[in-house]
Amino acid sequence: MKPELGWLDDPQTFRVNQLPAHSDHRFYQSDTDLATGQSRFTQSLDGTWQFKFAKQPSERPVGFYEPDYDRSDFDTITVPEHIEIAGYGRLKYINTTYPWEGKIYRRPAYALGQDQKGDGMFSDGEDNYVGAYLRTFTLNPELRKQQRVVVQFDGVEQAMYLWLNGQFVGYAEDSFSQSEFDLTPYLRDGENLIAVEVFKRSTAAFIEDQDMFRFSGIFRSVRLVGQPAIHVQDMRIIGNLADDMTTGDFSLKLQLNRHDNANGNVKVAITDADGNSLFDTTEAVNDDVEISHKMFKNVHLWQHTDPYLYQLKVTVLDEQGAVVEIVPYQFGFRRVEMKNKIMLLNGKRIILNGVNRHEWDAKSGRVISIDDMKQDLKTFKENNINAVRTCHYPNRIEWYYLCDKAGIYMMAENNLESHGTWQKMGAVEPSYNVPGSLPEWREAVVDRARSNYEVFKNHTAILFWSLGNESYAGDDIAAMNVFYKDHDDTRLVHYEGVCRNRKYEDQISDMESMMYDPPKEIAKYLDNDPKKPFVDCEFMHDMGNSLGGMSSYDALIDKYPMYQGGFIWDFIDQAIETKDEVTGQTVLRYGGDFDDRHSDYEFSGDGLMFADRTPKPALQEVKYYYGKHIN
Amino acid sequence: MANTSTKQVQIIYGDATLGLRGEGFGYIFSYERGGMESLVQHGKEWLYRTPKPTFWRATTDNDRGNGFSVKSAQWLGTDMFLKCTKVDVAVNGNAIELPISPENNKYSNHEFADNVTITFTYETLTVPATTVTAAYTVNGTGEIKVSVDYHGKAGLPELPAFGLRFIMPTAAKGFNYDGLSGETYPDRMAGGETGHYTVDGLPVTKYLVPQECGMHMQTKQVTVIRNRTLDNTDHDNHDFNLTFLQAGQSFAFSCLPYTAEELENATHIEELPAPRRTVLTVFGAVRGVGGIDSWGADVEQQYHISAEEDHSFSFAIKGV
Repeated sequence: MKPELGWLDDPQTFRVNQLPAHSDHRFYQSDTDLATGQSRFTQSLDGTWQFKFAKQPSERPVGFYEPDYDRSDFDTITVPEHIEIAGYGRLKYINTTYPWEGKIYRRPAYALGQDQKGDGMFSDGEDNYVGAYLRTFTLNPELRKQQRVVVQFDGVEQAMYLWLNGQFVGYAEDSFSQSEFDLTPYLRDGENLIAVEVFKRSTAAFIEDQDMFRFSGIFRSVRLVGQPAIHVQDMRIIGNLADDMTTGDFSLKLQLNRHDNANGNVKVAITDADGNSLFDTTEAVNDDVEISHKMFKNVHLWQHTDPYLYQLKVTVLDEQGAVVEIVPYQFGFRRVEMKNKIMLLNGKRIILNGVNRHEWDAKSGRVISIDDMKQDLKTFKENNINAVRTCHYPNRIEWYYLCDKAGIYMMAENNLESHGTWQKMGAVEPSYNVPGSLPEWREAVVDRARSNYEVFKNHTAILFWSLGNESYAGDDIAAMNVFYKDHDDTRLVHYEGVCRNRKYEDQISDMESMMYDPPKEIAKYLDNDPKKPFVDCEFMHDMGNSLGGMSSYDALIDKYPMYQGGFIWDFIDQAIETKDEVTGQTVLRYGGDFDDRHSDYEFSGDGLMFADRTPKPALQEVKYYYGKHIN
Repeated sequence: MANTSTKQVQIIYGDATLGLRGEGFGYIFSYERGGMESLVQHGKEWLYRTPKPTFWRATTDNDRGNGFSVKSAQWLGTDMFLKCTKVDVAVNGNAIELPISPENNKYSNHEFADNVTITFTYETLTVPATTVTAAYTVNGTGEIKVSVDYHGKAGLPELPAFGLRFIMPTAAKGFNYDGLSGETYPDRMAGGETGHYTVDGLPVTKYLVPQECGMHMQTKQVTVIRNRTLDNTDHDNHDFNLTFLQAGQSFAFSCLPYTAEELENATHIEELPAPRRTVLTVFGAVRGVGGIDSWGADVEQQYHISAEEDHSFSFAIKGV
């Protein structure tokens, strides 16, 4: 297949030759590897890559991926790193309006008519800078033995083309979901040349308009993964509860990739936290292996105050009984449901003492470390925060595992925000809203729902899926809801746009969700025979010196059972650490400080934490009120 | 100095000032500067400029978002340019003719009293204008009771703040107080825990854009600790301190190296000048910070400060 630059302009082309999204399970060759957590099936491609920056598509090094291309003028860049933090692209922060505001006139393809296809809008966009990434690798001996070798990009903003050894492999959008490609047909013995062309913008720009610094580049890890002849490609674990709320109801579905219909066995074992066996079975290898509704009496429930996890271990054995791969996964037994218009966890009313959390590190932007995550969870624990909304995109995969362990209730949000297409200087004006009900945009957003679901579906911590943020409402978002409803009856679906376009209120959210609704307005809703429980998907806007008046929200909790708390906006200021140009001291800078215009300046500073992860004074107030309803 | 053992305060009827002295203290009130010009305890000066009532707070992001600073902008001018229109003096509770020249010729170098009250009346630069008084009552121990009264007037926009601001000559080494933990406001103090707290230096909360910060509600006492003066003969660097005490109601205070106006003008914390003074403000009324949103939602009504109503507060500065 020949790659086309026009894909950047076409909302209907968002993944080419990508492998289907699947669960985020890890797999190991042996118990020894499992114990160390180091899988010999993986090979990191993080580190230094060759790099060439081009200000716009027409200036990019066409054909740079060819083995014999003259790359003597290439620089280097670190992977993962934002192109802007590396100093090639200008730092920019903007909230609602698109980053090209005041510079380029754009309307989303098809939004104002079938004939408005937007050809050249991004492929020839003067602001669409390009990063050409390239490096060599030699497969580790362990990977060379495997049946298939794939490459995983955990996050590339905002559109990428991939080549291996000069041959085109595929194309991906959706900056915050993992993109995976099969490299097997293109691999060589010895040195391989992998090349990625990253474009700052594509049609995804219209639906990735999150209120945040606008970055680009390979900003999460890249790795090669070898898959053995029998491989668990996907797994779905359900640890539910029977009506008695004490009996565990366990189901497992494995989807296996088998080379030449290879035979063997799959051992499935569950142990409790002390290592006692709960369940042990062996099934013959097949394309699908399914265990349905195994009931376990008196299971230890999972909840915030006691996030008890069981250990599932799937061992794939070949015909000779040798271990092919071991797949561990920790899961909890818990039940999420709506009963009498109240959302319940394990039969008890959920009260969300939550925060919205952007991934942020003042030094590296949205390239965050495991230490950052652990520190955030420590802050959660110290301040009685029990819930997190992954605003407004899927986070690094490790975060979900950590939340399972920490007992943090997750609202797992898709990568979707298009407020620039319908919020105009504070007014609701959706004349060119996308995705809206446009068929040309539907698959792109449903794919985002699919990726979010498929990758994270086994995380006990996720109680809610969220369709995205501030994207108005139409058939396309309703289609995302349908996707979740078709695939997952163990969780509830959230979408704030429910309050923006009432026509869709029965199709897009299980709960009434609003942002920044004053306590009196919420009370009014709850006093008037409400259809659904209420959640503040964003409240207590902690910009600068703020967070006053939390008592009025807190008072709703005891008064209205259908008021189920919310998520403070937000967890951490977004500001960039840099050196003061006058004094040389280390300082934090915000929108507009990089000559970036149009800007929303300090509007990104709404955290309970300062950008350097020191607490704002208001945090003690959060600790107090959230401490009143620990659940 | 004579006759200090009686614990009376000696009065110096100056031509431009009223001096009040006693063992270990000496205070000067300036008729021209419209306030207390000098507060010396144990030989250390505590005032850089005369304390004045204060009305402004550096605009918070929420204030900007809901237009509060636009609506209340008159108070910024008043905060900066307040004028003193009247001075009254009372000795042992009895008002006397303002003792300026030649009225003061009738006094001697041996004038004592149990207490002396000097009251400054200020007129605001608002439309309509109103008045505020700050009264200082000094006794023989050097204790100063301070009462500040704001006279409400119909038609005035809500007050961003109401307090009395002391600017001290050098940056404090720190302060300690009995009150609530952390930075608190009327609508954000439930999480504050009562206790005795020591703060090193004069921290400015590092909000991205400098703004109102460092408030401490429900305070019983605050002690400012310094170890430097501007006196060129003073080479001592031992700690010395001054204590502000509750008199009646608890008070709120902030202790920062900057005035509200200095904070107001900075877009980043690094733009603020090198800390060289101590700005201790004792507040009788504090407006809430709000938090529903930052683009329009008002602070909840009960945390506003009406300028149409009277406000009073008092506290004491501990004697020697």
